[in-house]
Order: sequence, then C-alpha cells, then structure tokens
Amino acid sequence: MSIKLEHVSYTYMPGTPYEKEALKDVSLEIKKGEFVAIIGHTGSGKSTLVQNLNGLLHPSKGIASLDGINLADKTKEAKAARSRIGMVFQYPEHQLFAETVYEDIAFGPKNLGLDHDAIDVRVQDAMKFVGLDFETFAGRSPFSLSGGQMRRVAIAGVVALNPDYLILDEPSAGLDPGSRNAVFAEIMALYKKRGITIIMVTHSMEDAAQFAKRMLVIYQGKVIIDGKPGEVFLKEKDRLLEAGMDIPEVYKLADALRARGMRLPSEITDAKTLLAEIKKRKGLK
Amino acid sequence: MEPVIEVKGLKHIYTDSDNNRITALEQIDMQIMPGEFVAVIGSNGSGKSTLARHLNALLLPTEGSVKINGMDTMEEDNLWMIRQQIGMVFQNPDNQIVAAIVEEDVAFGPENIGVPADEIRKRVDEALRIVDMEAYRTHAPHLLSGGQKQRVAIAGTLALGSECIVLDEPTAMLDPRGRREILATMKRLNKEKNITVVYITHFMTEAMEADRVVVMNKGKIVFQGTPAEVFSRVDELEKMGLEAPMASKFAFELKKSGAKLPKGIITNEDLAEALC
Repeated sequence: MSIKLEHVSYTYMPGTPYEKEALKDVSLEIKKGEFVAIIGHTGSGKSTLVQNLNGLLHPSKGIASLDGINLADKTKEAKAARSRIGMVFQYPEHQLFAETVYEDIAFGPKNLGLDHDAIDVRVQDAMKFVGLDFETFAGRSPFSLSGGQMRRVAIAGVVALNPDYLILDEPSAGLDPGSRNAVFAEIMALYKKRGITIIMVTHSMEDAAQFAKRMLVIYQGKVIIDGKPGEVFLKEKDRLLEAGMDIPEVYKLADALRARGMRLPSEITDAKTLLAEIKKRKGLK
Repeated sequence: MEPVIEVKGLKHIYTDSDNNRITALEQIDMQIMPGEFVAVIGSNGSGKSTLARHLNALLLPTEGSVKINGMDTMEEDNLWMIRQQIGMVFQNPDNQIVAAIVEEDVAFGPENIGVPADEIRKRVDEALRIVDMEAYRTHAPHLLSGGQKQRVAIAGTLALGSECIVLDEPTAMLDPRGRREILATMKRLNKEKNITVVYITHFMTEAMEADRVVVMNKGKIVFQGTPAEVFSRVDELEKMGLEAPMASKFAFELKKSGAKLPKGIITNEDLAEALC
C-alpha cells in the first residue's frame, strides 16, 4: 500500500505570462506506516507537492496514484482513494465554521453519507481521541475555545473521516511549546495506535528531527534530499543551509562543544544522548 | 529619559461569543525605554497579543492606562500620533499587504497621513534600503517569500516614521531563513537606528537576543529580566508551557547531577565555555 508519484511535474497557469513550473519531474513513493517530514523554504514547491499527493491538484505531467488508482481519474474508485488521504491545512482553526463543536466534526462523516448513529460514533470517538471531553465541548461554539482547543477540533474533524494517510501542513506553527507537545502527542497517537501514515510539512527542524522517520527536502521544485532525519542533519548540513533550512539545536550544541574540544561521538541526534554523553565526560551521574 | 511605552494597572475585559466576561489582562505595569529591545513570551492565550494591541490603541483599557510618549491611548485626539509612533507587524505577512507593488505598499502609510509626495519618495527609498529590499521595489509583493514580505511590512512602519515597532509573532509562519532575516533586520534597526522593539515570539532562541524578556501567563506579567535571568528559571517556564533554550535546560540538568556551573548560561557557546 502506498502513494506514488511517477515523474510528476506541475505548472501553475500554463500558457500565460505567469506560468510557473512548481514541481519538476518528481518521483517518490510513500508507503503505508511511514512518518515523513517535508521541508523546504517558502516557494520551494512543498505545498504543491502535498496537494498532488492527495489529489487536490492533478499533475500537469506524470501520475499520482494510491495503490495503483490514478488520483486524477473521475471514477468512483478514484474518489474513494482520494477520501483515504486526509489533509489538515495550516492554521486549521481558521476553517472551523459550524455553530457547535459537534456539527463541525460531523461535517466530514455526513458528507461521506454515513447514517446518524455512525456519525455519532465517529464524532464521539474523534473527540475522545484528541482529548476533548464530549459533555463539556460538544455543544459549545468552536469560536469560544482557545487556539489550542480549536486546533484540536479541526484535527478531530479529519480524524472522524478515518483516513489511511494524513497530511499535516505546519501543525505546530504559532503554538507555544506546551501546545505543540500536546498536538504532537495526538499526531503520534494517530501514527502509532491507528497506524495512520503521517506526511507533515514543516518549517521546524526540531519537529522533523524529533518525530519523523524520513525527511524530504524540496528545493526549486525537486526532491534534493531523501533520508532519515538523523543522517540528513549529520551529513547534509551545508546543503540544508544552502536550501534556506537549518539544523536542530541539539546538533548546534554538540558542534559548539566539539569546537571547544569536547570529544563526543559523531552520531548524536537527540538531546537525551547528548546530555548522557556530557555527564559521562564530566564524571557526573 | 521618558519611556516610549508606559502601561499602568492595565486591565482588559472582553465578552466572548458565549457571553462570558473574560479577563484577558490584569495588573499590567510595564515601562519600555527608547532604544530597548524587549521580547515578550508566554503560552497561547497568555495575553501577549492583547497587550500588543493596546500599545497602538487597537484596543483600549477597561481599567488603567497606556501612554505612548506621554500620550494616553484613551484620548481620541492622540490616536493618529500614537499609530505613527508605534508601528505594528503581525504574524501573517499576507494579511498586511495592501498594494500590488512593493514600493506602493510601503508608501501607503505616509500617503494616508498626508506626507508630501517628494518626502514620501525619500522615506520609501530609505525604508526599503534599511530592510535590504531595494532590489525588489517594483516587484509584486505576493510573489515574495514570507521573510521578504515581513521586511516590506517593517519598511512600511519605518516610512510612517515609527520610532517603536511592535511585532506580534512575526516569524511564526516563516521558514528558517526567513526567521533569521527578520531577527537580523530588527537587531540592526535597534542598534543602528535606535528603534525601540517589542518582539512577541514563541521562539526562545529569538527571545534570547533581546535586552529584556517579559514573561506573561494568564493575563499577567509573571516575571521579567535579562535573557540570562529569565531563562535560568527552567522549571517555572516549563510549568507555564514554555521552554528554556537547550543550553539553559542542559545547564539545569547538569547542575542537578552535581556539576558546578556559573549562573546565566543560555547560549550553546556559554555552555561550551563553562564545560570545556
């Protein structure tokens, strides 16, 4: 099971003076069960890429498919395939619209044509999943909630669709560190407990390093790097900086220590390991 | 020296969509002096943005007072002056662009307050030069990167003649390069042009660069001080949903394990120096 892009190019406004080729001959496969981070500067083509992955945009050239079904087709199968790929946009709290939290979350399942009872189960389930108490929140206006709660309602709306693949665009943008951890706890639960494949677009190197198992770096419409975050941050620092990206703080701290002469193993990719190594060097417990 | 911003006993109450009266700010006392670079941090809903909106009279106090260069925001006659003196830059660069050409966008503010045409020309050129966007003066703003759009917004406040710029999470939507550009621009404006900066952010690595850090929680200022003072309080920050910089957290953990380290470690360089 996988989403596949085969030689996909995408051109905005072809045949006009504003023509812009945003994706250039991209081929990649995202298998079920992966957790992929997509990074790249503003205008690098990452949004175009994810919209081709979930059938919101159809390739100008090449094919985007899910389990062999072309996402651009107009068949029932293609429609069903597209509905298996959910998307949480940037600042999803801005897309809440219903009068109550319940109705907002129920909107998607209703559109899938589920009956009343099935919708109810989905809504209750999704609210429980994102940690919103049904009794307290179901009848409230989503606009009376805090930013973090609103974002959870928006995520619940997508969870209620039961997607196999979930694309998240900048899930931690504008959140304080505590809310960020709460949102990621939910994303990790979707990934681990429900086995939902996660594809996350992010400007945060920390998020990519901490959560993703694979990282794609997009630059000028192409995938220039594809690998494990730890390996990429260790080996591709220069190319990342060139592409307008950065490396996570833990790598910078390790580099600062090495520059001052502390002997550290070359492959430190997380804070816990670094802290343990420092303690060992300094004879602390 | 008179403070640019003087907030005394500020309280802000609003009514939400369920008709509850919510206290967003309480007992806020704050002074910001000319040329200061002040970072404001706090969790979502702590009142940072509400406070920012009081600084140029987009919101008015329920109780207490806000004075800008001695002018009370409650007096309507002061509004135009206050809004020229305090420039605002918001989170979403796309929501604050009004024109189809970069230099027209920067000229929008001075045009509105009736600055003569040749003076506008001068101000716009100077402002775009300062934020390093001269090369893009005739470009369409919507085709710029996020960091470039924010620099155009900053140029807009400069062209208006603002001596103090309040930025409300200006880098939240930017990529790493854009974030670096904005912070560097503001530090330069502060140092070279003596612009007073109030910089609201969720990125502690940005707050570390300020002269002073103000920490807000539940509508109140809970403590403030130099970055070294504030970020040493690792535990307290964490309880409020905030996070100290990695070097501070490491110093905190290492001290718990018995390491003897000096106070006020916040940068990676500080920690490396203390350890090696």
